[in-house]
Amino acid sequence: MPPANGGYMIAAYVAAAVIYLSYSAWLLWRSRGR
Amino acid sequence: MTAIPAAERALRRSGAWMAVALVLVAGVYVRALVFTPEEATQGLAQKIFYIHAPSAWVAFLACGIVGVCSLLYLFLKDARLDLLAASSAEVGTVFLTTVLVTGPIWGKTIWGAWWTWDARLTLTLFLWFICLGYLVLRGAVDEPGRRARYSAVLGILGALLVPFIHVSVLLFRTLHPKPVVLQTSRPQLPGSMLLTLLLSFTVFTIFFVALLVRRYSWARLRDAQAQSQAES
Repeated sequence: MPPANGGYMIAAYVAAAVIYLSYSAWLLWRSRGR
Repeated sequence: MTAIPAAERALRRSGAWMAVALVLVAGVYVRALVFTPEEATQGLAQKIFYIHAPSAWVAFLACGIVGVCSLLYLFLKDARLDLLAASSAEVGTVFLTTVLVTGPIWGKTIWGAWWTWDARLTLTLFLWFICLGYLVLRGAVDEPGRRARYSAVLGILGALLVPFIHVSVLLFRTLHPKPVVLQTSRPQLPGSMLLTLLLSFTVFTIFFVALLVRRYSWARLRDAQAQSQAES
Protein backbone atom coordinates (compact mmCIF):
# COMPACT_ATOMS: atom_id res chain seq x y z
CA MET A 1 0.00 0.00 0.00
CA PRO A 2 1.73 3.25 -1.09
CA PRO A 3 1.82 6.12 1.44
CA ALA A 4 -0.94 8.74 1.24
CA ASN A 5 1.16 11.76 0.27
CA GLY A 6 -0.87 13.32 -2.53
CA GLY A 7 -0.82 16.64 -0.63
CA TYR A 8 2.94 16.90 -1.05
CA MET A 9 2.60 16.19 -4.78
CA ILE A 10 -0.01 18.92 -5.17
CA ALA A 11 2.11 21.36 -3.11
CA ALA A 12 5.15 20.77 -5.35
CA TYR A 13 3.17 21.12 -8.60
CA VAL A 14 1.45 24.29 -7.37
CA ALA A 15 4.77 25.78 -6.16
CA ALA A 16 6.42 25.08 -9.55
CA ALA A 17 3.43 26.58 -11.41
CA VAL A 18 3.54 29.71 -9.21
CA ILE A 19 7.29 30.18 -9.82
CA TYR A 20 7.09 29.67 -13.60
CA LEU A 21 3.93 31.72 -14.13
CA SER A 22 5.21 34.56 -11.93
CA TYR A 23 8.51 34.75 -13.79
CA SER A 24 6.81 34.53 -17.21
CA ALA A 25 4.42 37.35 -16.25
CA TRP A 26 7.29 39.46 -14.86
CA LEU A 27 9.38 38.92 -17.99
CA LEU A 28 6.45 39.82 -20.27
CA TRP A 29 5.66 42.91 -18.18
CA ARG A 30 9.30 44.12 -18.20
CA SER A 31 9.71 43.63 -21.94
CA ARG A 32 6.27 44.92 -23.01
CA GLY A 33 6.05 47.52 -25.78
CA ARG A 34 9.70 47.15 -26.82
CA MET B 1 22.19 48.02 -37.90
CA THR B 2 20.32 44.88 -39.00
CA ALA B 3 20.47 43.04 -35.68
CA ILE B 4 17.91 45.28 -33.99
CA PRO B 5 14.97 44.56 -36.33
CA ALA B 6 15.84 40.87 -35.88
CA ALA B 7 15.72 41.28 -32.08
CA GLU B 8 12.40 43.15 -32.39
CA ARG B 9 10.95 40.35 -34.49
CA ALA B 10 12.25 37.74 -32.04
CA LEU B 11 10.73 39.67 -29.14
CA ARG B 12 7.34 39.91 -30.87
CA ARG B 13 7.31 36.20 -31.72
CA SER B 14 8.60 35.09 -28.32
CA GLY B 15 5.30 36.00 -26.64
CA ALA B 16 3.48 33.46 -28.80
CA TRP B 17 6.23 30.88 -28.18
CA MET B 18 5.96 31.44 -24.44
CA ALA B 19 2.19 30.90 -24.63
CA VAL B 20 2.67 27.67 -26.61
CA ALA B 21 5.34 26.50 -24.15
CA LEU B 22 3.08 27.19 -21.17
CA VAL B 23 0.28 25.17 -22.79
CA LEU B 24 2.77 22.33 -23.31
CA VAL B 25 3.83 22.56 -19.64
CA ALA B 26 0.14 22.35 -18.70
CA GLY B 27 -0.02 19.24 -20.89
CA VAL B 28 2.88 17.71 -18.94
CA TYR B 29 0.99 18.45 -15.71
CA VAL B 30 -2.09 16.59 -17.01
CA ARG B 31 -0.01 13.69 -18.34
CA ALA B 32 1.94 13.36 -15.06
CA LEU B 33 -0.96 13.86 -12.64
CA VAL B 34 -3.75 12.00 -14.46
CA PHE B 35 -2.29 9.57 -17.00
CA THR B 36 0.88 8.32 -15.27
CA PRO B 37 0.55 5.44 -12.79
CA GLU B 38 1.26 5.86 -9.09
CA GLU B 39 4.57 4.40 -7.93
CA ALA B 40 4.14 1.45 -5.53
CA THR B 41 6.50 2.41 -2.69
CA GLN B 42 6.69 6.24 -2.81
CA GLY B 43 3.05 6.90 -3.65
CA LEU B 44 1.87 10.06 -5.41
CA ALA B 45 4.83 12.13 -4.17
CA GLN B 46 7.02 10.24 -6.68
CA LYS B 47 5.32 12.33 -9.38
CA ILE B 48 7.25 15.37 -8.11
CA PHE B 49 10.12 13.76 -10.02
CA TYR B 50 8.46 14.71 -13.36
CA ILE B 51 8.88 18.41 -12.66
CA HIS B 52 11.92 18.30 -10.36
CA ALA B 53 14.32 16.40 -12.65
CA PRO B 54 13.48 18.32 -15.89
CA SER B 55 13.79 21.63 -13.99
CA ALA B 56 17.22 20.50 -12.79
CA TRP B 57 18.24 19.52 -16.34
CA VAL B 58 17.18 22.94 -17.66
CA ALA B 59 18.92 24.76 -14.78
CA PHE B 60 22.17 22.91 -15.52
CA LEU B 61 21.77 23.50 -19.27
CA ALA B 62 21.32 27.21 -18.53
CA CYS B 63 24.45 27.25 -16.35
CA GLY B 64 26.33 25.43 -19.12
CA ILE B 65 25.26 28.14 -21.60
CA VAL B 66 26.41 30.79 -19.12
CA GLY B 67 29.80 29.07 -18.79
CA VAL B 68 30.38 28.63 -22.54
CA CYS B 69 29.19 32.15 -23.44
CA SER B 70 31.29 33.64 -20.61
CA LEU B 71 34.40 31.79 -21.72
CA LEU B 72 33.88 32.86 -25.33
CA TYR B 73 33.23 36.43 -24.22
CA LEU B 74 36.61 36.64 -22.51
CA PHE B 75 38.29 35.76 -25.84
CA LEU B 76 36.00 37.45 -28.39
CA LYS B 77 34.70 40.44 -26.36
CA ASP B 78 31.38 40.22 -28.22
CA ALA B 79 28.63 41.92 -26.16
CA ARG B 80 26.01 39.50 -27.53
CA LEU B 81 27.73 36.63 -25.71
CA ASP B 82 27.57 38.60 -22.47
CA LEU B 83 23.87 39.32 -22.98
CA LEU B 84 23.13 35.68 -23.77
CA ALA B 85 25.01 34.57 -20.65
CA ALA B 86 23.11 37.09 -18.51
CA SER B 87 19.76 36.02 -19.98
CA SER B 88 20.53 32.34 -19.48
CA ALA B 89 21.65 32.99 -15.89
CA GLU B 90 18.40 34.77 -15.01
CA VAL B 91 16.14 32.12 -16.58
CA GLY B 92 18.32 29.32 -15.15
CA THR B 93 17.99 30.78 -11.65
CA VAL B 94 14.21 30.47 -11.94
CA PHE B 95 14.48 26.78 -12.84
CA LEU B 96 17.06 26.21 -10.10
CA THR B 97 14.70 27.83 -7.60
CA THR B 98 12.01 25.34 -8.63
CA VAL B 99 14.49 22.50 -8.08
CA LEU B 100 15.26 23.76 -4.57
CA VAL B 101 11.57 24.18 -3.74
CA THR B 102 10.20 20.90 -5.14
CA GLY B 103 13.10 18.75 -3.88
CA PRO B 104 12.53 19.40 -0.17
CA ILE B 105 8.76 18.81 -0.56
CA TRP B 106 9.57 15.34 -1.92
CA GLY B 107 12.27 14.87 0.75
CA LYS B 108 9.86 15.67 3.58
CA THR B 109 7.49 12.85 2.74
CA ILE B 110 10.06 10.27 1.50
CA TRP B 111 13.05 10.97 3.77
CA GLY B 112 11.10 12.52 6.62
CA ALA B 113 13.20 15.71 6.43
CA TRP B 114 12.90 18.88 4.35
CA TRP B 115 16.64 19.17 3.95
CA THR B 116 19.84 17.26 4.53
CA TRP B 117 23.41 18.47 3.96
CA ASP B 118 23.96 15.81 1.36
CA ALA B 119 26.60 16.49 -1.34
CA ARG B 120 24.17 17.04 -4.21
CA LEU B 121 21.76 19.21 -2.24
CA THR B 122 24.54 21.31 -0.77
CA LEU B 123 26.29 21.84 -4.12
CA THR B 124 22.98 22.75 -5.76
CA LEU B 125 22.34 25.31 -3.02
CA PHE B 126 25.83 26.74 -3.58
CA LEU B 127 25.13 26.98 -7.32
CA TRP B 128 21.93 28.90 -6.51
CA PHE B 129 23.95 31.32 -4.36
CA ILE B 130 26.42 31.78 -7.23
CA CYS B 131 23.52 32.46 -9.62
CA LEU B 132 22.11 35.07 -7.23
CA GLY B 133 25.58 36.57 -6.82
CA TYR B 134 25.93 36.72 -10.61
CA LEU B 135 22.64 38.61 -10.96
CA VAL B 136 23.46 40.98 -8.08
CA LEU B 137 26.92 41.62 -9.55
CA ARG B 138 25.40 42.57 -12.91
CA GLY B 139 23.09 45.00 -11.19
CA ALA B 140 25.93 46.55 -9.17
CA VAL B 141 28.46 47.35 -11.94
CA ASP B 142 27.43 50.13 -14.34
CA GLU B 143 30.28 50.12 -16.83
CA PRO B 144 29.31 47.48 -19.47
CA GLY B 145 32.84 46.21 -20.22
CA ARG B 146 33.76 45.70 -16.58
CA ARG B 147 30.33 44.20 -15.79
CA ALA B 148 30.72 41.69 -18.62
CA ARG B 149 34.26 40.74 -17.60
CA TYR B 150 33.50 40.29 -13.89
CA SER B 151 30.31 38.36 -14.51
CA ALA B 152 32.02 36.16 -17.14
CA VAL B 153 34.54 35.01 -14.52
CA LEU B 154 31.78 34.28 -12.01
CA GLY B 155 29.71 32.57 -14.72
CA ILE B 156 32.57 30.21 -15.57
CA LEU B 157 33.12 29.37 -11.89
CA GLY B 158 29.40 28.64 -11.44
CA ALA B 159 29.28 26.41 -14.53
CA LEU B 160 32.23 24.41 -13.19
CA LEU B 161 29.97 23.25 -10.34
CA VAL B 162 27.49 21.57 -12.71
CA PRO B 163 29.54 18.43 -13.56
CA PHE B 164 30.35 18.03 -9.84
CA ILE B 165 26.65 18.18 -9.00
CA HIS B 166 25.91 15.58 -11.69
CA VAL B 167 28.49 13.07 -10.45
CA SER B 168 28.08 13.90 -6.74
CA VAL B 169 25.61 11.03 -6.22
CA LEU B 170 28.16 8.61 -7.67
CA LEU B 171 31.25 10.00 -5.91
CA PHE B 172 29.82 10.45 -2.42
CA ARG B 173 27.55 8.52 -0.08
CA THR B 174 24.43 10.61 -0.54
CA LEU B 175 20.76 10.32 0.23
CA HIS B 176 19.79 11.75 -3.16
CA PRO B 177 18.61 9.03 -5.59
CA LYS B 178 21.02 7.91 -8.31
CA PRO B 179 20.21 8.56 -12.01
CA VAL B 180 17.41 6.31 -13.29
CA VAL B 181 17.64 7.23 -16.97
CA LEU B 182 21.19 8.47 -17.68
CA GLN B 183 23.06 5.29 -16.87
CA THR B 184 24.98 2.62 -18.73
CA SER B 185 22.30 -0.08 -18.31
CA ARG B 186 18.67 0.28 -19.41
CA PRO B 187 16.56 2.98 -17.70
CA GLN B 188 15.00 1.67 -14.47
CA LEU B 189 11.56 3.09 -15.19
CA PRO B 190 8.43 1.44 -16.59
CA GLY B 191 7.54 2.62 -20.11
CA SER B 192 4.65 4.93 -19.16
CA MET B 193 6.72 6.70 -16.48
CA LEU B 194 9.71 6.99 -18.80
CA LEU B 195 7.49 8.48 -21.51
CA THR B 196 6.15 11.11 -19.08
CA LEU B 197 9.67 11.94 -17.95
CA LEU B 198 11.05 12.28 -21.50
CA LEU B 199 8.03 14.36 -22.51
CA SER B 200 8.63 16.60 -19.51
CA PHE B 201 12.33 16.99 -20.33
CA THR B 202 11.44 18.00 -23.91
CA VAL B 203 8.69 20.43 -22.91
CA PHE B 204 10.72 22.08 -20.14
CA THR B 205 13.58 22.56 -22.63
CA ILE B 206 11.17 24.23 -25.10
CA PHE B 207 9.85 26.42 -22.26
CA PHE B 208 13.40 27.41 -21.35
CA VAL B 209 14.26 28.30 -24.96
CA ALA B 210 11.09 30.44 -25.25
CA LEU B 211 11.96 32.33 -22.04
CA LEU B 212 15.60 32.67 -23.09
CA VAL B 213 14.70 34.10 -26.53
CA ARG B 214 12.35 36.60 -24.87
CA ARG B 215 14.92 37.64 -22.25
CA TYR B 216 17.79 37.84 -24.74
CA SER B 217 15.97 39.79 -27.45
CA TRP B 218 14.72 42.24 -24.81
CA ALA B 219 18.30 42.64 -23.51
CA ARG B 220 19.56 43.27 -27.08
CA LEU B 221 16.98 45.98 -27.65
CA ARG B 222 17.70 47.61 -24.30
CA ASP B 223 21.42 47.52 -25.03
CA ALA B 224 20.93 49.10 -28.47
CA GLN B 225 18.69 51.78 -26.97
CA ALA B 226 21.28 52.61 -24.29
CA GLN B 227 24.01 52.78 -26.95
CA SER B 228 22.05 55.14 -29.20
CA GLN B 229 21.23 57.35 -26.19
CA ALA B 230 24.92 57.46 -25.27
CA GLU B 231 25.87 58.40 -28.84
CA SER B 232 23.26 61.18 -29.21
